[in-house]
Amino acid sequence: MKKLRLFANLLAEEKWLNDRLAEGYACDRISPFGSYTFKPSARKMVIRLDYQDYMSAEKFEEYKVTYADFGWSHLKGGRWGSIQYWQKNADGRDEIFSDAGSQVAYYKRLMNYSLMTACLFFIYTMIILKGSIFHALFDIKASYLTNGLWEREGSKFWRAFIFETPFAMLRFLPPWIFMIACAMFLFSCVQYNNKKKKYV
Amino acid sequence: MKHQLLPLSETMHYILLALNEPLHGYAIMQTVEHMSGGAVILAAGTLYGAVDNLSKHGWIEPVPGESGRRKVYRITDEGKGILAIEQRRLQHLLSLYETREYDEKT
Repeated sequence: MKKLRLFANLLAEEKWLNDRLAEGYACDRISPFGSYTFKPSARKMVIRLDYQDYMSAEKFEEYKVTYADFGWSHLKGGRWGSIQYWQKNADGRDEIFSDAGSQVAYYKRLMNYSLMTACLFFIYTMIILKGSIFHALFDIKASYLTNGLWEREGSKFWRAFIFETPFAMLRFLPPWIFMIACAMFLFSCVQYNNKKKKYV
Repeated sequence: MKHQLLPLSETMHYILLALNEPLHGYAIMQTVEHMSGGAVILAAGTLYGAVDNLSKHGWIEPVPGESGRRKVYRITDEGKGILAIEQRRLQHLLSLYETREYDEKT
């Protein structure tokens, strides 16, 4: 079974994955651009998502060996600051964090990750739009740069329009993704503070 | 100034005590589970983060010469110094418990 899904929030993604697993599946592969492959599984499985900043090759190896010793298999994740996907048979020891301190630290990493994502899209948007982010949010026509495109008619218009759409999306989507990333950052701040209040 | 990791969390405390003998990650979890009578069961992410943190502070160190995929750690002299500070703190707390009990009896 293959499913396509995009998530802006890591905790929502984890919940969605575990809901699929609860239906009697195991996750087989996670590919870029939100493609998840599942296969039927007789055993009940769990998935946990972690986020880790850059790790040296040595640290990354130690990280993976530690989790593997606890029965987790690594589904996806690199060492250059990325989400780590872990899956194992459900056996009652199904969490990756066992104390308050490490859970709060995890939520703090998530907050920093979403802040970094927002900053990256901010820089990208500033470069391609030269600063006029709010204007670009609603002016989809301005994303098309072909001279006189909107004056053309019939098939001539549609050919040029469809040809340019992928390029226009590269200009039109980043400010929107930036806005979503900002919202997600604020959301992760709230989640972090709630976690902190619960424990500290 | 008091160190940011003091007083030690239960996780850090047990790991430092367990590393009086050299152990790798999973063996730390097993030792801590045994030492705590099953009360403290470390999860993978918590253990990895705590070991990383403790070795960053120089309280534990990888045992040289131990090759293979699993890194083996043991406590350093600095780590033992931290445990001595914690021992004094806890002994003082315990002594307060004891005087309180004494007060109640008389």
